[in-house]
Amino acid sequence: MTDLLLTPFVAGFLITLVLALAGSGLFLRGSVWQALALGQWAAAGGVLASVLHWPVLPVALALGAGVMALLQRVRDAERLPLALFLGGLAAVTLLAANFSQASLAAAAWAEGQLYFAGPNELIAVVVAGVASAVLWPWLRRVWLHAQLAPDVSAAPAPPAIARWLEIAWLVAVIVLGSMVLGMPAALATLLLPAWGAAFLARGLTGALLWTQSLAIAGFLVAWTISLPLDQPFAPVLVVVFLLLALLARAGAVLRRAP
Amino acid sequence: MSDSPVIEARAARPGFDRPVLGPLTLAVPGGARWALTGPNGSGKSLLLKCLTGQARVHGGRLTTAPGTRISLLAQDHPRPYPWPLSGHDWFRAMGTRVPEHPRIRALLRRRLDQLSGGQWQLLRLASVLAPVEAADRDTGRPHLVLLDEPANHLDAEVRADAVELITALPASATLVMTSHDDELLGTLGVERHPLQDYLDAHD
Repeated sequence: MTDLLLTPFVAGFLITLVLALAGSGLFLRGSVWQALALGQWAAAGGVLASVLHWPVLPVALALGAGVMALLQRVRDAERLPLALFLGGLAAVTLLAANFSQASLAAAAWAEGQLYFAGPNELIAVVVAGVASAVLWPWLRRVWLHAQLAPDVSAAPAPPAIARWLEIAWLVAVIVLGSMVLGMPAALATLLLPAWGAAFLARGLTGALLWTQSLAIAGFLVAWTISLPLDQPFAPVLVVVFLLLALLARAGAVLRRAP
Repeated sequence: MSDSPVIEARAARPGFDRPVLGPLTLAVPGGARWALTGPNGSGKSLLLKCLTGQARVHGGRLTTAPGTRISLLAQDHPRPYPWPLSGHDWFRAMGTRVPEHPRIRALLRRRLDQLSGGQWQLLRLASVLAPVEAADRDTGRPHLVLLDEPANHLDAEVRADAVELITALPASATLVMTSHDDELLGTLGVERHPLQDYLDAHD
């Protein structure tokens, strides 16, 4: 691997681990639709920033946070996130149709630009990784507690600050992941390793380890295939994750067969 | 049994968006073993949900003793599939201690989505009845256990275990349950209180 590609490789590898962890949380919470809406509006924010000549990350974060705030206020796990996703898609399409720089930015968010990730992206990804490690005990507690309803435990619930930190972390990770890998690849990393792992694991720890293993395997395979074949990384990653998740599903079915 | 009530309702009107029950006036003493009885739809589950904050009180008063820890076994808990959690994970999520009961211990390493309906009900029941992990730090806080139709899904294999777990509840804890299963109520020896007797009572 050339020095030129070392930074994209490390940035991509780290954000894949963090996105897969976030995917475990979304899977456990049954909130995968939220990721779709959030990722699309992060992309809309990035495209809008290109039109306004503003920095991409703050605008994408602001729109992503706005969408997440709306999703938290309205208790609708499917229709509202889907409607927001469609709204975000329409916003990106309209911007791309009317502004040439928006068209380029929209293509970049759709295809991903991992090969062009530089030191700034790497630093942001490392910060996200450190934040994930620091927040891990609280994230685990919030995700476990979310499994209880409609039963109620006599033990105290996680403090409200833990829930707010989880939401802020999710927004930051999904926006950053969409920016580095491209939206479809980021969504695939969020959804597919955790889904595949859920069939293979015997418990929560196993699910988290399987998720990380599938994510790492998928990233390495996609990186190895896409470079020599001169293919865009993001769609290759999506295809590899799909295959891995289906293999995991098939493996679970075979294991349970008499 | 303590004289001071753990649950006190005065002309309470429980409901969700609007009141659907009441006025209800009752007092459940600490350490009591109560079974609320009545036909389906009479508001027994609603009252339990009000006590855990899952439903609202639209008028009057419904209070629990200060510092009360409340645990609730809901009438049903559908399991998603796949659900990559084990019995150990469930007790961690509940924050309660795993009892030394052999049948519960045998379920700890199993996936929750692969348990039978009876095993899942037994595991949930055990986790609701168990003391919380941090209970040593604040002994003396009342523990109120609410069981909504605990006999649901209990097959013959685990029914005796469920009875054993419920009867082993410490005397200091208060139990309020709903059930249509007369045989279970008889075995447990709980006091039967028709909810209807506490409706339209004096303020």
